[in-house]
Amino acid sequence: MASAAPDQIDLRRHRDWEGRTYERWLPNVLFGLICIIPVLALFNVFGQAPEVHKVANPNGAATLELSAPTTVRSGLIFQARFDIRARREIKDAVLVLDSGWLESLTLNTTEPSPANEKSRNGGIAFDLGDIPAGKLWRQYLEFQVNPVNAGSQSQGVTLYDGNVPLLHLNRDLTIWP
Amino acid sequence: MDLVFRALVLFAAVYVLLRVVGRRELAQMEPIDFILLIVLGDAIQQGLTQDDYSVTGALITIFTIAAIQVAVGYITFRSARARSVMEGEPVVLIENGRLLERNLRRARIAADELAEEARLSQVTALSDVAWAVLETSGKVSIIPKKN
Repeated sequence: MASAAPDQIDLRRHRDWEGRTYERWLPNVLFGLICIIPVLALFNVFGQAPEVHKVANPNGAATLELSAPTTVRSGLIFQARFDIRARREIKDAVLVLDSGWLESLTLNTTEPSPANEKSRNGGIAFDLGDIPAGKLWRQYLEFQVNPVNAGSQSQGVTLYDGNVPLLHLNRDLTIWP
Repeated sequence: MDLVFRALVLFAAVYVLLRVVGRRELAQMEPIDFILLIVLGDAIQQGLTQDDYSVTGALITIFTIAAIQVAVGYITFRSARARSVMEGEPVVLIENGRLLERNLRRARIAADELAEEARLSQVTALSDVAWAVLETSGKVSIIPKKN
């Protein structure tokens, strides 16, 4: 003989799923959303693979190649590599980074150490000195994102010869919380 | 302030994750389920407090999590609908010795596992089970047929 269902068990609901249609599709939708995140991560949506940006002086005086991630996550350590190739001698090379390079980012290392550092228009200016024609100056900067930092910030770079701008590179850094 | 937001976001994310993983897997604690829980705890800690080693930070985090827990508990106590969404509902797996295949499939439970649960309840044959119910806790209640 069939026994009665236990107390609080509603056979229509708990056996036949009546009124629980969302339980049929919601777990699958949520599982899909969960799977999207690692897939996006594989495509570098959340950083921190480096991207290479290159800019040249219109008169052919120099080129700047920047290799650094454009997307990072808070707390991450990352590297920016600046390759300056002088086509002609740059007597007083000055690399000026926008304030976005340092705002809520910790600059751990600057190699090689510039001859001088100072503020210029709110950014930071690294005095690199003389770069002979045909030579490559490779500048490494190592950063860490401060934990509370999130959002997007401008990270423009300008190369000067003294006070004469030679080239400018625009980029933004996106920081995921 | 960011600690509170981090705690809120991570609580919600882990809650959704655990609901998707499924209550059965969480209650079972097979070796593969342990991996999830161990990795989960470590990964969350990094994102929750990051480089904050302060007692204040720890207090903010645990009080926030505790407050959310109590709030969720109160809401699910007051509202049956919220309880059904947050905790899920029981699923009948066996009715009078008959396996309900569709429900077993949805709950991702094999007949072998159900037989194991039955043995743990001193029932040797699934045909002797009057009711088997997957509870919201992830455990399976086995009610034997009356002789």
